[in-house]
Amino acid sequence: MKAKIITISVILLIVIIFLTLSMFVVDQTQQAVVLRFGQIVNTYSTPGIHFRTPFVDNVVKFEKRILLYDIEPEKIITLDKKTLIVDTYALWKIVDAKKFIETMKTIGLAESRIDDIVYSNIRNVFAKHSFDEIISDKRESFLKEVTTLSRADLENFGIEIVDVRVKHADLPSENVNAVYERMKAERYSIAAQIRAEGQKEAQKIRAEADKNVTVILAQAQSQAEKIRGDGEASATRIYALAYQTNPEFFELWRSLSAYDTILNNGTVIFGKDLEIFKYIFEVK
Amino acid sequence: MWKKLIGWLVLAIIILIYLSIGVYQVGPSEVALIKTFGKYTHSTGPGIHFHLPYPFQSHVIVDVETIRKEEIGFRTIESYGKISYRTVNEEALMLTGDGNIISVEAAVQYRIKDPVKFAFNVINGKELVRFTTESVLRERIAVRTIDDVLTVERDKIALETAEKVQEILDSYDSGILINKVYLQEVAPPDQVVAAFDDVNNAKQDKERFINEATKYANDVIPKAQGQAEKILREAEAYAQKKILEAQGETQRFLSVLKEYEIAPEITKKRLILEKLQSVFSSTKNIFVLDDSGTIKLLNVNDLIGGDTK
Repeated sequence: MKAKIITISVILLIVIIFLTLSMFVVDQTQQAVVLRFGQIVNTYSTPGIHFRTPFVDNVVKFEKRILLYDIEPEKIITLDKKTLIVDTYALWKIVDAKKFIETMKTIGLAESRIDDIVYSNIRNVFAKHSFDEIISDKRESFLKEVTTLSRADLENFGIEIVDVRVKHADLPSENVNAVYERMKAERYSIAAQIRAEGQKEAQKIRAEADKNVTVILAQAQSQAEKIRGDGEASATRIYALAYQTNPEFFELWRSLSAYDTILNNGTVIFGKDLEIFKYIFEVK
Repeated sequence: MWKKLIGWLVLAIIILIYLSIGVYQVGPSEVALIKTFGKYTHSTGPGIHFHLPYPFQSHVIVDVETIRKEEIGFRTIESYGKISYRTVNEEALMLTGDGNIISVEAAVQYRIKDPVKFAFNVINGKELVRFTTESVLRERIAVRTIDDVLTVERDKIALETAEKVQEILDSYDSGILINKVYLQEVAPPDQVVAAFDDVNNAKQDKERFINEATKYANDVIPKAQGQAEKILREAEAYAQKKILEAQGETQRFLSVLKEYEIAPEITKKRLILEKLQSVFSSTKNIFVLDDSGTIKLLNVNDLIGGDTK
């Protein structure tokens, strides 16, 4: 009885050990390659439980998800001979585990290949375009071109380049200061223009005010002359109407009043027949 | 007998311990993805759950509710409960379309909309969001002028960036949902801030110049109007005076004329004599040329026949 239990246990144990050795699990995020003495016998890209020959087969698993590779920033010369520091990154995934293991073996090696290829393509594409184009919204289409080129280059390695994007595209530090200087000069010139415009406006307002002052005074002066003239005309008319009633008396009246001022306080020499003395000598 | 019992007990404990590996807890904002033999089979919500232990089933927990954040161009530093911000120039400085450089700080908020895609399609979701946002933000800045970025286009940039990042992340099947991109401080770089401020000062100066000129205009024009009124009133006064004088004088003339007409000769003589009296009373010497051409000295007092002094 006891011996029977032990025998069953031993057999069960052996079966379990055998099963663990021959079974392997491929995760949702993984794909696997089964190698027999270095030769690929099978690849599994779907998750689940799979089998292998124990002690003979070796299982290598690879990532199936999208991987992000940050490429070091590099200097790039554009078509118009300007230098640009471009910091790119590539998204990629292993699509063919068999090809990948044949050509790349490890992710590290793959990354260095991606680095070479993507960087070279970026340089090639960007070198055909001017600085302004690269900075403009055309950049996206250039990157699409880089992605397509890199994808074709890496196809045979079981790698798919999902996307190549530029994280930064900056000027080298030696150019940055020149840009700052130019920005400053630009702003100061704008400031000077604004101030000058202010002065122009102010001058305009002052000149307008001065003009208005002159015009207002001149109009008043002109109006005043007219008013005086009207006054004098009315006065003249009044005089004329009144004096007309007896011109003879008027002559006497006017002559007499003239003496007030003519003969006032001093020495005067007259001819005897002077009209104004007519009355004086008649009296005598 | 005892030995047998202890043996079973040990076996039971071992089995219990083994089974307890399959117990897992899911938090309120989380979702657990259960994989059976590595293959995703189903999801479970918050609470205590059990699945078959290794090697049969395993789980991945993904936080789907919590809003995550990535900062671009700055970092939030929390020390002793105080929050401060530090600008990271290498990230913040960006090229604008007109060849200028601007400092832009932004934060992108996101959460996981599809935990299955997020867990099984991408590895480093955090970096993916960060890199994509940085890349798109720079693209959006690069197609605008510095003045637009600083002023009117801020909202648009944030909106466009969020949309574009979402589009790109969807193309990766990443299961990430961008909530919003917030532009924080958008400013000229430190080196040129003074120059930008000068433009603002210049605008103030311009206003000041105009205000001063307006003040001048507001001062001189009413004064001139006042002066004009004065000139007019003076002229009117003169005119009135002339007319009144004329009326007065003529009135006087007419009055005297009326009397004169009653006895013209007598009145005429009277008037002449009165006049002579008043006029010559203040005249010292009067010379009258005779018909012979000799100068005669007239004695005024004799002439008018009376002493007026």
